[in-house]
Amino acid sequence: MSMTRRAFLERLSAVGGTTLMLMGLEAFGMGIASAQTAPPPLQGGGAGKKVIILGAGVAGLTSAYELGKAGYDVTVIEARAFAGGRSQTARKGFQLTELGGETQTCNFDEGQYINHGPWRIPFHHRSTLHYIKEFGVEVELFNNDNDNSFMYFTKGSGPLANKPIRKREVAADMRGHTADIFAKLAQNGALDKQMDAADREQFLAYLSAEGYLKGDAHDYHGAEGRGWITKPGAGLVAGEEAPIYKLGDVLHSEAWKVLSSITDWDQQRTMFQPKGGMYMLPMGFVTKGGVGEKIVYSTVVEKIRQNAKGVEISVVNGEGKRSTVKGDYCICTIPLSVLKSIDTGFSAPFKAAMDGCAYAPVGKIGLQMKRRFWEEDHWIYGGHVYTDNSEIGSISLPSTNWLGKKGTLLGYYQFMGDAAKVSALSPADRAKFAVDFGQKVFPAYAESFETAFSVAWHRVQYNLGGWGMWSDEARARDYPVLLQPQGRVYLAGEHLSHIGGWQAGGIESAWMQIDALHKRASAAA
Amino acid sequence: MMKFGFAFLAVATLAAPAFAAPDGKALFAANCAACHQGAGQGIPGAFPALARNKFVVGDPKLVAATVLNGRGGMPAFRDSLKDDQLAATVSFVRMSWGNKAPAIPPAIFAAVRTGKMKTERPMPVH
Repeated sequence: MSMTRRAFLERLSAVGGTTLMLMGLEAFGMGIASAQTAPPPLQGGGAGKKVIILGAGVAGLTSAYELGKAGYDVTVIEARAFAGGRSQTARKGFQLTELGGETQTCNFDEGQYINHGPWRIPFHHRSTLHYIKEFGVEVELFNNDNDNSFMYFTKGSGPLANKPIRKREVAADMRGHTADIFAKLAQNGALDKQMDAADREQFLAYLSAEGYLKGDAHDYHGAEGRGWITKPGAGLVAGEEAPIYKLGDVLHSEAWKVLSSITDWDQQRTMFQPKGGMYMLPMGFVTKGGVGEKIVYSTVVEKIRQNAKGVEISVVNGEGKRSTVKGDYCICTIPLSVLKSIDTGFSAPFKAAMDGCAYAPVGKIGLQMKRRFWEEDHWIYGGHVYTDNSEIGSISLPSTNWLGKKGTLLGYYQFMGDAAKVSALSPADRAKFAVDFGQKVFPAYAESFETAFSVAWHRVQYNLGGWGMWSDEARARDYPVLLQPQGRVYLAGEHLSHIGGWQAGGIESAWMQIDALHKRASAAA
Repeated sequence: MMKFGFAFLAVATLAAPAFAAPDGKALFAANCAACHQGAGQGIPGAFPALARNKFVVGDPKLVAATVLNGRGGMPAFRDSLKDDQLAATVSFVRMSWGNKAPAIPPAIFAAVRTGKMKTERPMPVH
């Protein structure tokens, strides 16, 4: 990520210590890493001020919990009948009616679930993990990378296209063949411009280790880690390594496209998930954190008005009854995709800045399988099946109920135009589409399928998209505008962070804004 | 963000006979109707109606740019649909549900496509 321009712009729009601190951390190369590890200390208390918080997703819950703890009088207005925002988990009885769609009622068995919103927490999202720890939410490891999983690439050619191949085979062969070639070049003096004799010796040693090269010729013949025809066993069973693929076959399969020496920072292996589903995190705020009693559910914001003394929010509840809620300040976590259709009374430039944020169409489907064939037949425990079929994106095997009887896997995870397209299908046809593809990878897929639950986030009321996206231009032009309060209203959410689409972005955005709000309220008191 | 994001966003597999013009109505149903709804009526507060929409029947270049590059919650279709498919889809919309505007030929999409696209970061995956 390029820091300079962004850092400069944010310096211009700095709202206080938190922003400066974030910038400081970014200057030290923290980049998109979740930069803050603890909530801001709101010293001096709330002094009887009332804050109205719009939205009970993680940004709203964070705001309510921290401001409440500091002595502010907080009320959270939530459109849905439950808290969590996008941090939802579909389990037995969970209902979703997409705009223009039929009602789905999740029919999974007890204990089965799919996190159709956020589903994994990178180890460096310290803010999310802060609340996991604070509320004692039980977590388990989420396997974000599995060398034993399959890849299924459809757009390449040759013997390895259009068939499931193990990631470890592709990784070993690409690295082995590549190292083999470089070793030959180095030995033949073709790299003498790049290195001296001492360098070359170290380089060859590195290539041998990285690419499993053998002997003085530094040849690649395979690696035991890439797999076996016969696995080592008792007695005389020494094991027989599987033969390697030809370099050309691997290249033309195109499966190498998912290889990289190190994954992106937010996709590294060590991740967590709450036991039982991601909704356990918002439930931590609601129950252990005591925020639940401050939430007014099934209440939709219709209008925001403010003057020099305070804010007034017009709402309508589930019975169609209208009322107004008054406060000194407001934290608004409503996604911009939704907020732009609400009568906010915001200034024209502020509204124009809101239009700069695009929202991602995103689709996911959970498929309950009566048997964990990926574990039983293929020894794949968690991780993802990568494919270049962009309407599927990936299949992900569950990191929960290991070795259990049934399991619920993620059958697709697609974006943008692909998500728009798949979302045009009925829930039943989406399931059929997902199962038909999965059958190509796993022979037992279709016969094991029991029931599905799907979401198209762009069609979900109160969200209208999976997450906010900023073009470089809009990030420079519009984003800084929205970090500033609009009068007494502060916007917060993943869309106002550089950790967009992650819960950490929502939490840290809330931390930033409550810090700014608190400093202002303290100065005014 | 190579992992399983946009690096291999590819052409949608639409079964079209080799020499037939793309079916704008079918393309609309597959790619647009999930949000804009089957009769282009949209959903108030969420998805704009395309029926009797002044922008839709207006400047062909602006319409083409919007479909190619996306806008707000609408994805860019430059990678998933070809120019003749885009032309058929948009022309269908411009002549349906009370809209009465001339078709937009594929050449307009080709011309707008070569223009500088507003830079969007590669799709992050969460």
